[in-house]
Amino acid sequence: MSENRKTNPFAPFLSALGRALGMPALALLTAFIIGAIVILLTSGDLLAAPTAYWGLIRGALFKQRGLSESLVASIPYVLLSLGLSVGFKSGLFNIGVEGQFYIGALCAAWAGQITTGLPAIIHLPLALLAGAIGGAIWAGVPGYLKMRTGAHEVISTMMMNYVAFRLTEYVITDKLRDVNSTTIQTPSVSPAAELWTFAAIPQRLQDPLNALGVALVLALLTALVVRALADRPDWKAKLGARRGLAIGGSGLLAGLIAFVALPLLTNAWWPFTDAYDRLHTGLIMAVLAAVGVWWLMEKTTPGFELRTVGANPNAARYAGMNITRNVVLAMAISGGLAGLAGTIEVLGVSICRCLPLFFSSGYGFDSIAISLLARNDPFGILAASFLFGAMRNGADLMELSSGVSKYIISLIQALALLFVAAPAIVRWMYRMKAPAGEEKQAPLTRGWGG
Amino acid sequence: MTIALQATGITKRFPGVLANDHVNFTLKQGEIHALLGENGAGKSTLMNILYGLYQPDEGEILLNGQRIQITSPHDAIAQGIGMVHQHFMLVPPLTVTENIMLGQESIQAGSQALGPLALLDRRSVAKRIRELSQRYGLAVDPDATVQDLTVGAQQRVEIVKALYREAQILILDEPTAVLTPQEADDLFVILRNLVAQGKSIIFITHKLREVFAVADQISVMRAGKMAGSVQPAQATRELLAEMMVGRAVILTIDKTDANPANVVLQVENLRVQDDRRHTVVNDISLSVRAGEILGIAGVQGNGQTELTEALTGLRKVVGGQVTILSQDTTHVMPRQISEAGVSHVPEDRHKHGLVLSFSLRDNFVLCTYYQPPFAKGIEIDFPVLEENARKLIKMFDVRTPGASTSAGSLSGGNQQKVIIARELSRPVKLLIASQPTRGLDVGSIEFIHRRIVEARDQGAAVLLISAELDEIMSLSDRIAVMYKGHILSTLDASTATREQLGLLMAGIGGAEPHAPAQRSGNNRRNGPDSPLEAMNV
Repeated sequence: MSENRKTNPFAPFLSALGRALGMPALALLTAFIIGAIVILLTSGDLLAAPTAYWGLIRGALFKQRGLSESLVASIPYVLLSLGLSVGFKSGLFNIGVEGQFYIGALCAAWAGQITTGLPAIIHLPLALLAGAIGGAIWAGVPGYLKMRTGAHEVISTMMMNYVAFRLTEYVITDKLRDVNSTTIQTPSVSPAAELWTFAAIPQRLQDPLNALGVALVLALLTALVVRALADRPDWKAKLGARRGLAIGGSGLLAGLIAFVALPLLTNAWWPFTDAYDRLHTGLIMAVLAAVGVWWLMEKTTPGFELRTVGANPNAARYAGMNITRNVVLAMAISGGLAGLAGTIEVLGVSICRCLPLFFSSGYGFDSIAISLLARNDPFGILAASFLFGAMRNGADLMELSSGVSKYIISLIQALALLFVAAPAIVRWMYRMKAPAGEEKQAPLTRGWGG
Repeated sequence: MTIALQATGITKRFPGVLANDHVNFTLKQGEIHALLGENGAGKSTLMNILYGLYQPDEGEILLNGQRIQITSPHDAIAQGIGMVHQHFMLVPPLTVTENIMLGQESIQAGSQALGPLALLDRRSVAKRIRELSQRYGLAVDPDATVQDLTVGAQQRVEIVKALYREAQILILDEPTAVLTPQEADDLFVILRNLVAQGKSIIFITHKLREVFAVADQISVMRAGKMAGSVQPAQATRELLAEMMVGRAVILTIDKTDANPANVVLQVENLRVQDDRRHTVVNDISLSVRAGEILGIAGVQGNGQTELTEALTGLRKVVGGQVTILSQDTTHVMPRQISEAGVSHVPEDRHKHGLVLSFSLRDNFVLCTYYQPPFAKGIEIDFPVLEENARKLIKMFDVRTPGASTSAGSLSGGNQQKVIIARELSRPVKLLIASQPTRGLDVGSIEFIHRRIVEARDQGAAVLLISAELDEIMSLSDRIAVMYKGHILSTLDASTATREQLGLLMAGIGGAEPHAPAQRSGNNRRNGPDSPLEAMNV
């Protein structure tokens, strides 16, 4: 950043770069540049920063199972950030996603171990649902309190975090402790309630009930995609009255093919052969959740209500919307997604497939940064979550290969967030003009007055 | 008279807009110079240039014959140019004295040694404020807390603030937009005092009546250009309106006699409390029939806001009954009232009427987004919304780049048109319009007035609440005057006179011989009911 004078020869280049990348990417780039300067200043070694960053990239992408681990780390980020974004868009700052994450994990751990007799097609959805509902209730209560008593959700959800942490500890050490284990943890969940890893899919599909479950999901997805396509003008004209038939038929067909062919196909050839690869089907759920949140918030009447309540609660009341119901709903969706994130960690990631006492995550607070960086856009959240997941995963190899402390990652993330929150700094650095019209506010919630 | 300020050839471009196009403007010493123009005509840009908020692209400014550059508001104040903004720049919890000294704090003698901890010298500032208010006839109490003051008093504080900083030229940006007619008259007296003692005033407005009441010189801007400058003696309302709009404007509404049919809104003994639990709507009864306009006149803050909110379900009813089309709507949710066929143009378009960050497309369906054809099941049909927006933008002449423009980026007049369009585009049985043209320009007012009369002619019952007596008189078929939560009298609009209504608005003529109303909420009295209320329908 040597460009201080107005006669800066780099100015045209910088502003062209700025325009091309857009604000979040610029903020990141700048954060990495400043991070490099800090590494240089602290190590005194010109090569330290390139070595560190190269280590980071290798750790995140190229080392053995590097990419998989980055994805595994980004899955909870996606779900938590989506949850936060629903809150932000509805004018609520659900700072308690970490607590809801724990409650979700606890509920899933409980629901996963109640029996070993259920087939996966029932037990897995049940455990997922339990976690989501647990998180939803944990967040819905502060939402209701806000409307009833005026308690600000930032305070009440933060307090609920501590209740969640201590409650989880109590249940793990006392009520739901696995007495057969030397470590303090809940009993492992039934194999039927485990979230499948990609490597295990061929073997799982050999059970016809599992294949049926997968076929049902695929049938539903196909029908939804065809339904969305059928609303395009050219398809609409072609299909006419046969729209329903086309949707149902394609779904049924996809389901049938999946049921018959998938077990055979995956048995014959499957790209995920590494049994120690932890990449799990929660990835698919995270992507679907992003699409679902986008659809809900942008395309439906409940989403319209939530956004109106978030943007102008007075106008929402004027328009006949029920504010209390919408605030509780927003918190419940937000908490439900956070709970699902915890669920997935228990059912798909933890080695014991249980909830151990030392289940520290820190995912929740990082997710606040991610949803701000992505400006609450679901697809931006997918990208930003991968970035944070990759950095989290790559940091170890970076430290190992260059000696640069892995906490430099936190510094870079904090800087990126700072630049996103204060775009004027970035605009000044890259000689960009302020956008016409009012600056899009960083999508934080309204003040403490409620 | 000497020339105090002269701006020549001022040009200011914004991306895509030529906001000021070689504008010439001359302010003489000791005159009140009214600057008229519709929203977006370039008045504010010109004033912001004079106040140092913008730099002109071309042109020069002469102050007392000296060519000057005004680089910032701070600079403008230093050069003796003060501005009173439409939205006051005051800190509500602080006292008048504290607000006025803010940014120019006086320090008690001897306490300079304390550095940043030096003691504030409130006393001498308060003394100076008293001197100033006495000299110019501004009733301002230095020890009052700003949030307790009426809007009119807050404005006087702003004026004193400018005078305290020794402003010789005062720019007042739409000072009457927030005032009641009485407060406006008080302001004009103050302005006269100020110019009598050598100050010069630029008075931005788009209300024609005020221009004749107060101005020595009138300049009119239109579409970024100076359309002309005349003296009030040579001008007529029609001439000025035409200069502003660029075409002949019909200032009087021609409307036929009302054909009142069945009763649509029936209010009986309604009692409503404000946020501080003072009864501000006290035992009101009224009724509105299909095909007539009932105007509710009154100085603002006499319970009109709460009455409207109670009728539309936004505020709890404490006593009495509201019936809309023989359906009891006293204690129902706003949605049910809206679905009963009630359209509501709210008093505050930013607070209630619009979601400023949403597109026009979405604002047009703010109340109907869940109904067919806008929604199928829980999915919103966006192509239908687009089509709806295009249609309404055209029908209601909303000036906007497109349907996806955010409501917040439109001018006030166009925002109000969006609300009117939305509320009149669904089946209307009862239209409740509260201050429908507040702060709007002549062209928009004319347009909105015609739409309201049109709604009446199509068989809607209309309840019009307005603090603008002109508006009430030109639109209403019957006029009820509201004072301190009561309706003092209901008159036939064809025979009611301005004087008669003005007296009733001040509480004279009913059984309430009280001082003129203060702001809302000061109403703690539960006096005897007015005998005139028995006359209410």
